[in-house]
Amino acid sequence: MAHITINQYLQQVYEAIDNHEGSFCAELLSFKHPHVANPRLQLASPEEKCQHLLEPPYDEMVAAHLRCTYAVANHDFVEAYKFQTAFQSHKEENWALPVMFAVALDLRIFANNAEQQLQKKSKGQPGEMLEKSAEQLMSCFRVCASDNRAGIEDSKKWGMMFLSNQLFKIYFKINKLHLCKPLIRAIDSSNLKNNYSPAQKVTYKYYVGRKAMFDSDFKLAEEFLSYSFDHCHRSSQKNKRMILIYLLPVKMLLGHMPTHQLLRKYDLMQFADVTKGVSEGNLLLLNEALSKHENFFIRCGIFLILEKLKIITYRNLFKKVYLLLRTHQLPLDAFLVALRMMQVEDVDIDEVQCILANLIYMGHIKGYISHQHQKLVVSKQNPFPPLSSVS
Amino acid sequence: QNKAQAREVEEDEKTQQQGKETAPIGTCQSMCPARELRDREAQSRLHRFEVLAGTERARLPRGDPSRAVKEYSRPAAGKDTTAPTNLRPPDVLLKTVHYLIDDIAASLHLHPWTEQVYSFVFDRLRGVKQDMIIQRVSGPRCVAILEPVVRFLIYASYRLCGEPLRRYDPCINETHLQENLSWLLDCYATGTGPHPNQEEFQALGLLYNLSARATQHILELPKRLRSSPAITLAVSINKAFLERNPVCLLRLAQRLSFLQSCALHRHLVACRRDLLLIYSHGYSSRNCRFPLNTLAQLLSLDTSLTAQLCQAYGLTVIQDNEVVFSKAAFTEAEQEKL
Repeated sequence: MAHITINQYLQQVYEAIDNHEGSFCAELLSFKHPHVANPRLQLASPEEKCQHLLEPPYDEMVAAHLRCTYAVANHDFVEAYKFQTAFQSHKEENWALPVMFAVALDLRIFANNAEQQLQKKSKGQPGEMLEKSAEQLMSCFRVCASDNRAGIEDSKKWGMMFLSNQLFKIYFKINKLHLCKPLIRAIDSSNLKNNYSPAQKVTYKYYVGRKAMFDSDFKLAEEFLSYSFDHCHRSSQKNKRMILIYLLPVKMLLGHMPTHQLLRKYDLMQFADVTKGVSEGNLLLLNEALSKHENFFIRCGIFLILEKLKIITYRNLFKKVYLLLRTHQLPLDAFLVALRMMQVEDVDIDEVQCILANLIYMGHIKGYISHQHQKLVVSKQNPFPPLSSVS
Repeated sequence: QNKAQAREVEEDEKTQQQGKETAPIGTCQSMCPARELRDREAQSRLHRFEVLAGTERARLPRGDPSRAVKEYSRPAAGKDTTAPTNLRPPDVLLKTVHYLIDDIAASLHLHPWTEQVYSFVFDRLRGVKQDMIIQRVSGPRCVAILEPVVRFLIYASYRLCGEPLRRYDPCINETHLQENLSWLLDCYATGTGPHPNQEEFQALGLLYNLSARATQHILELPKRLRSSPAITLAVSINKAFLERNPVCLLRLAQRLSFLQSCALHRHLVACRRDLLLIYSHGYSSRNCRFPLNTLAQLLSLDTSLTAQLCQAYGLTVIQDNEVVFSKAAFTEAEQEKL
């Protein structure tokens, strides 16, 4: 395969198309396949040869693909664009889906490389290349989503989840999360949503979960990210680690702390002191851990979510005060002392009251503050409800 | 509008790659192109601030070339907006901005401010922006023009916030402010600098847009910039906002400069509401009272305004000096602004 001639290659493509062998055809048009390294196929203008052997629109598609191999390190959007027209013309058939997957994947990767190249030369608006490729993918998505006539078996709707996953990757990269919404809605309302391949579902739920996290919908985020983690293939340790980076903060916010073994297994020890600090109510340790691994957390985009853990840490710290004093009428000064111990220097009694009032408002403490007596009066029953019961 | 700008910028990049030839370069050396001045004179469409002294009462007042400024005009099909004689090059645009802000907006004897000064300056600044977009102005000159514009729009958003809708539309002001601000921040991000005012505007941007998203942007700035006093303070205020700690927020707000307070100002209504809401839950007990003057201090308001505010949210004030917090009593206030 690595050294075949152009004619042999085109003959193979022709047969694959003729027999509707989607996966084989996909290989022949994919950059994961060794043929792309074959110098005999790397032609600057293969159009004539392709026209000679293949019917339109495949001739243009394959020509574009070969031109692309010629300019590997460069970007090529023509390829996918041509593909799209080809795809639409397949009425009531979907054998070509694997081909589209391969091309779409390559398109995104090339756009990514092109983007980096342009950034290095500091040309072009950041995100421009990726945005353009997203447009192409989006037009494929529209074709798939609007394929209402074909029966379930032959429907191009089976391509929706793959494409939306590719689009999610781009939208997260260029920080345009709001663009994910219509895709999610389209898939949610589709009757196929539970029948896609496990791999696609894992990716899909990973991105939708992350989006829910940024929208502060933590319950939903937990559900989706957990699904993704549980169903991710066990050999994909790297992916499982990526899922955990977002699942851990969400779980912690809902009161579930990860074990040491888990953090060690997935090389996520950056979370160890964060976890310890939160569950012990050790604000000092939490703050230290956050600033120590600041760069890692910022890069992952979870620094702000982790900052939200402070509220739970206050709750755990104040619960300790309650356990130590063993009374239901707690002097406010005691909380101030506790915060000072944690080297929170710039708070005074007014801010302590505000923090307590907020904890009461959120349901983390059952009770009320008496300003006259400068005391927090807590409920005799269950004054600090378990975190999992409070959302 | 935003899209149009994005498209312009995109085109800008394209032409830069092609060799910088296609962007028109203005040749108009005055704030208002001669042609426009003549037309508006003939149609009697000169603004009061543009009329030549002594001709105000004439049937057709004459325009003063040293005070007339090019109007904003909506792009329309068939209208050639790219003629160099109608475009002002960047240094003239910068002079125009300085004139509009120093001589008109900051003037002590031009009034009324809302109807005349603000609407005049706002419109003419919009014209400036249009000229910039058509000529694809970028780099340090772009920064120099945008910075005072952003300051003006922030100040206006504060000064006019109590005006009725027919005189001042906060939405339009905000749209322009956000556009100019994000353009400016883009200039900082892509330009080589130095940008001596960057700290000021990063901080203003954060204070105006308190949110997790804006913080993420700040977090991605170089550490040296992030640790500057203005940005550190803005970050602390934003943190108090995200932790929903209005007491801390209002306290930190007292350390802001005037313009920074203007930027933060639009959040204060919500912030004071949060405080009353949280305290209505935290201090909810039939027998407890909260001293009004302490609450006033926390809210950074005087006692009579504090009492009014409490009542607006359904809370009882007893004998003008104590508040009864109750989670059942708290109700959302109608649009009562302070």
